[in-house]
Order: sequence, then C-alpha cells, then structure tokens
Amino acid sequence: MAANEGLIVALPKGRILKELRPMLDAVGLIPEAAFDDPDSRALRFATSDPRVSIIRVRSFDVATFVAFGAAHIGVAGNDVLMEFDYPELYAPLDLGIGRCRLSVAEPADLMATDDPRRWSHVRVATKYPHVTSRHFAARGVQAECIKLNGAMELAPGLGLCQRIVDLVSTGSTLKANGLVEIEKIAEITSRLVVNRAAFKTRPHEVGGWVDRFREARNAA
Amino acid sequence: MTDLETRALLPEGLHDDLPPDAEFEAELVARLIGVFAGHGYDRVKPPLIEFEESLLGGPGAAQAPTMFRLMDPVSQRMLAVRSDMTIQVARIATTRLAHVARPLRLCYAGQVLRVKGSQLRAERQFGQAGIELIGGAPEAADVEVLLLAAEAMALLGIAHPALDLTLPTLVPAIAQGLGLDEAATRTAREALDGKDEARLDSLEPGPRALFAALLEAAGPAEEAMPEILALDLPPAARALAEGLAARIAHVRAVMPDIQLTVDPGEYRAHEYHTGFGFTAFARGVRGELGRGGRYLVEAPGGGQTEEATGFTLYVDSLLRALPHPAPAPTLFVPAGTPAETARRLRAEGWRTRAGLVPVADAAAEARRIDCTHWLDGSTPRALT
Repeated sequence: MAANEGLIVALPKGRILKELRPMLDAVGLIPEAAFDDPDSRALRFATSDPRVSIIRVRSFDVATFVAFGAAHIGVAGNDVLMEFDYPELYAPLDLGIGRCRLSVAEPADLMATDDPRRWSHVRVATKYPHVTSRHFAARGVQAECIKLNGAMELAPGLGLCQRIVDLVSTGSTLKANGLVEIEKIAEITSRLVVNRAAFKTRPHEVGGWVDRFREARNAA
Repeated sequence: MTDLETRALLPEGLHDDLPPDAEFEAELVARLIGVFAGHGYDRVKPPLIEFEESLLGGPGAAQAPTMFRLMDPVSQRMLAVRSDMTIQVARIATTRLAHVARPLRLCYAGQVLRVKGSQLRAERQFGQAGIELIGGAPEAADVEVLLLAAEAMALLGIAHPALDLTLPTLVPAIAQGLGLDEAATRTAREALDGKDEARLDSLEPGPRALFAALLEAAGPAEEAMPEILALDLPPAARALAEGLAARIAHVRAVMPDIQLTVDPGEYRAHEYHTGFGFTAFARGVRGELGRGGRYLVEAPGGGQTEEATGFTLYVDSLLRALPHPAPAPTLFVPAGTPAETARRLRAEGWRTRAGLVPVADAAAEARRIDCTHWLDGSTPRALT
C-alpha cells in the first residue's frame, strides 16, 4: 500500500445516513452528486477533498471495514460496536444522532403471566446474538439466539420463539405486531469510529477529522 | 473429501511456510538478532514448553487465557506451551543469571503458540524476536529500548515506522488521586483504552472532564504531551507524565524523524507494564509490529523484585510489512559436470541445483525445476 494513499470513510446506508448528511456538509466532507442519488449503483464516491473517498455499506459492515483497516474512519451505531466488540476499533466521538434503544420485547399476553426472575433459559430471535447472550448471561440466564437479519417482530407470532431483541425507536412496529418492550439493554447513538492503526500511524489526518466532527457535533 | 484434501488441511491458524517465504523469515530473524547482538544483547533460548506455574508468574499472569496446556506424564504436573517469550527471559534473568551484573542485556527469537488467533492475527503460531534489559537506570534503559526498536525496524526497511507510547498506570494513578472507586476506575480505563467517549458519561462531571481531556489529547507526541501536562493531574500521575515527556525528548534528540504518538489511555495488552509501554506500527500495515515496555520481575523464593524493560517484534507482522524479495538466482548444473566446477561456482556465491540424470536440453530442464540459470560447459547462462 502506498504511504500517501487516500483516506477512506465508511458510512452506513439508510436511517443513520439521513441524519448524518447535514453533518457531512458541516465538516466539509462533500460527496459527489451520485452519493445523494438513490438510483445510483455506485458504492464508492469521491468527495470535495481529493484525499478522501466515501464507501457506502451496511451498518454492520462499517464496523468490519474499519476494524480491519479497509476503511480508516466510519460511522456506526453502538449496537453494532457492542455486537462485534472489535478491539481494533476506537469510538472517540458520540455523534448524538440515530438515537434509539436496544430492547427485549415479548407478546403482550405472555407478559401478563411471565416472571423474568424464574428464567433459566430463553430463546430469542435477534440480529444481535452476541449482545443478547452476554446480556442474559450477566443475570444467569442462558439465551439460545436465533439469528435473523430483519423482521424480528414476526418471530413470536409465528412460533419461532417468544422473545426478540431489537432496536426500538418509537415502538410502533412492536405495537403493530402485538409486542411490548419489557427491558432496555442499551441506549443507542451513532459513533464516529476510527481504525486503531490508522489513528496511530496517521495521527494528523485522522485526528483532524475527529476534531472537525467534534466541532460539528458541538455546534449542532 | 479426497485423501489429499484431508492431509492438506491444517488446524485453524496454522500454516506451512513455503519457498521463498520460509527462507525470508529465517533471514529476517537473523538480521534482527544481528542488530540486537550489535548492541551487546546476548541470545538465550528457553524451551518451548515449561511448567505452567513458571509461565504464569509475574508478567505472565495476563497470558493465562492464551496458553495451550498439557499434562507431563513424567512429573505429573501441568505444562504450558509458551504464548510469549518475555516471561521466559525474565525467568532466566532472575534465576540462572541472577548473579550476573546488572544491567543485563538479553535477546531471543522463537515461535510461540496461542490457543486463539486475534481479530487481526488469525495465526495461532508465529515468531517473536526481542530483547529484555534487566536493571539499570530506568529512564536511560527505556530510551535505549525505544531507540533499538526504531533502529531494528529501520534496518529491516520498514517504511514509515511509528511508535505509540502509553502510560498504562496513568489512569489508575489519576483515579486513585481523585479517590474514585473500583467501578469508576474500570470505566475510565476501558473508555480511554477504546477511545470511547460516551462510556465516560457515567462518571462525575469533574473526573469526566479530566478523562475526556486525556482521551482527546491522544495524538502526535509533540502536541499530546503539552496538553497532558497542562491538565490538573494528581502528583503521582504528573510524575508519570513528566517521565514520559523526558523519554520522548531523548528519543527525539537521537531520531528526529521517527513518528511518535502518545496515547495516555492505551491499556489492553499492557496489563503487566508499569510506568510506560509502547506499541510499534507501520503506516499501511494493519495491526501491530511489536510491543514493549517496563515491567517488574519477581525473583523466586521472595528474592528482590527487579525492574526490566524490553520489547518483542512479531515476525509475521514484519513479514506483512515488508516487500518479499525475488527468488534467489539458482544455477542448474547438468549431470556429469565435474564436482570441482560446481564447488567453485558455489564458492563464487551461486546456488547450484544438480541434475541427477543426463538431459538433452539443459535450459529446458533448468526451467522445469525452477532454476534461473543453467550451466553451459563452465559458463552460467541466464534463462531468457
């Protein structure tokens, strides 16, 4: 790899990106027009800074790209960071966007009779098997996790399992599927993440971007 | 699965080194040992396996989860395969070489085995090469070790080496000075280690502001040190920071161009380091090239505890950081060539590869068995 190669910023698709977009303008990281075009099939975009390019990937993959040094900086929710717990990932900045919570939910009728204190084993459908088993293990409950990539809310109704662990923002999806939130695991916000080796070997460049994002967040 | 497939499969994290990589690795280690020996470090060679308890002593405690264990049928005691060589060299220094004058300079190179690969290093077996400097004036010894690590990387031809310096005991010293409880101390330590600002939110506003400033200070040494020293630190923490600043000034005076960064909160894998630790990186190379720092070695039987400092370079990471050389020129010597001719060519520096049976076309045969040259009478000719 050439020493003067450019910096790569990994950004998540979807929900977080919408809130992040004004911040990119504020820090002076203006992507090329194709970035804002929903029909564009491009995955990598130039920016107003010739040394910096942006890649757009799934939010879980942001953490992976940055942890392995394929991208140097990224934005990811701490749900993803908790799930992977990558030691090579630094999260120096809470951007304060993408607010929601990671919660346990179960059908409303089950809740009426359920006593969580008596659990020794639960079966849970989730996108976050690692966080889920760690959460339950901390109270002495063994969690059998069924990994799903979406539409967790369907699982209890169809008998796949009784409980789910998922992101909740307004709670309307849970409600529409007859579920209630019974326990909050963590508050979620989006974080600026940085690859550890990049942070050490390119301190000026990487540190400069962290500072600019910090200013933008404090101004917001 | 065919028989070949079954036999070719190795356990996860283990691999065969093939030509020319195997030779390159051996050469690299020889060059490192040469640099260490040049600075007066004598080589030691501890065994691959030891009693578990000796590998767990002192600085080894942190290695407990990484070691393979087996039962010794002879002594009926538990043995462990080394997962790090520092502990063994420290053991040698405080036992068999306890009577040798300090400062004692030792170097080593060998393979280590770990039960699990890490995120960036899937390898479970890899080479370590390093030095330990036992005793002596702490500041001068640390500076010697830092400079030697930088010199070794430079001599190998690592482009853009970088040393990241840390104070693993700084956060605990601050926490103690502020009277924080154990849980708050752990929170601060984890937050600074992972540069996770949000994790500091559970602390009181005073300590939170101080730790957040420390977290933000991480960066190039010339900017970070003034920022750290400007903070309102408890006396013990201030002494640590001033000690680091003095070491940086010494290293800078000798090597003005080396990239030095300071990360006051880095803690993971520096658990056994006291006072100061460092990690070696190279730009564009994922993961660490090596690690070092100051630590305490306890003498067995309640003897006097000694201070030591040193570093280990990871040979597999160095191999990833360096361009691999072209295969060495090899000369095909057809069958029937007088032994004396081949001997003379080897004395001139050729690698010869002998033909075992006569062949009609020596050049074609040379190409078939991976030679770069063939012997035409008594003249080596390059394959075109």
